[in-house]
Amino acid sequence: MITPAPALVLRASELIGRPVVTLGGELVAEIKDVVFEHAGGRIAGFTLRNPGLFSRSRKDALPWAGVHGVGRDAVMVADETVFIPAKELAPRKQARKADVLQDRVLTDNGRDLGRVVDVVLHGGTSLEVVGYEVQASETLGTAGQRVLIPLPDTMAVSGEHLIVPAAATEFVSEDLAGFGAAVDAFRSRLREEAS
Amino acid sequence: MLFSRTRKRAVVSTATATRVARVDGFVVRPGPARVVLLRLGKVSGHGTLLAWEDVQGFGPDAVTVATDAVIRPPRDDLEQRAEDNTLEILGKRLLSEQGTELGTVTDVDFDPETGAVISLITKTDTVAGQRLIGLGGYAAVVSA
Repeated sequence: MITPAPALVLRASELIGRPVVTLGGELVAEIKDVVFEHAGGRIAGFTLRNPGLFSRSRKDALPWAGVHGVGRDAVMVADETVFIPAKELAPRKQARKADVLQDRVLTDNGRDLGRVVDVVLHGGTSLEVVGYEVQASETLGTAGQRVLIPLPDTMAVSGEHLIVPAAATEFVSEDLAGFGAAVDAFRSRLREEAS
Repeated sequence: MLFSRTRKRAVVSTATATRVARVDGFVVRPGPARVVLLRLGKVSGHGTLLAWEDVQGFGPDAVTVATDAVIRPPRDDLEQRAEDNTLEILGKRLLSEQGTELGTVTDVDFDPETGAVISLITKTDTVAGQRLIGLGGYAAVVSA
């Protein structure tokens, strides 16, 4: 028997080029790019291109809510009816990839942790943004290196900064192995503090 | 009974007691996973498909049909793709609904009485047939 896959943590940028497959087993597209929501640093969805070598980009897109599952080998969707026109995915000019990837992460006590270079997802069928990869600032002692910062399960939405609880600095990881556990530990700490 | 053991098995008409075709492959559909058609070779007419309902008996030595008149061409797009072999399950990549590849389907175990698919077999695993939720040109998809 197949044992349940372990919790899958991956960078959003890894999804580029990944096949989009329906639950009916048909290859319908490839991920062209990740579209971030400006406010809160969440993912709005994905732009698409046709599969194949000389692939053309498409006018439809895959919204975050239309994703059934994300794994190492494919992005799964129920069927092609979940696709929406690409312009509906990013109605505002701000909702472009470059935005969140340039944003700086601030702690709630006002320390700058660095500039976002990627977003870390928890894959499987309970898809969620669980962290940011940042180019670390002086605050973290690993200045210049890329590190992973866990996010709380609910986050204050800010238009200008990505604000995380100060405790996040204690759960920073340098690679994806073990980052899933760091996210869990960070979140249970936050829950303890809240209760 | 394994697909691999039944390929090339003779299809015999009980009306004429003659060999009318041989089994070349199986067409599986999910929900619940079952064999819906046999793909035949060495046929005399122009059709190559045999609906599971038209199989009289799936025995260890031969597949019997009442008459070779039940062997027919595809009736819809799905059957056309089946005849073109795009939906062949053997050799297909096996994906979980979470998007993780579990291997390649190397064999299928089925019940010759009912056509129900008992399990999908890869090099390293055996997946229960009831977990099959989709089978397309790209992959066979199984639930968690």
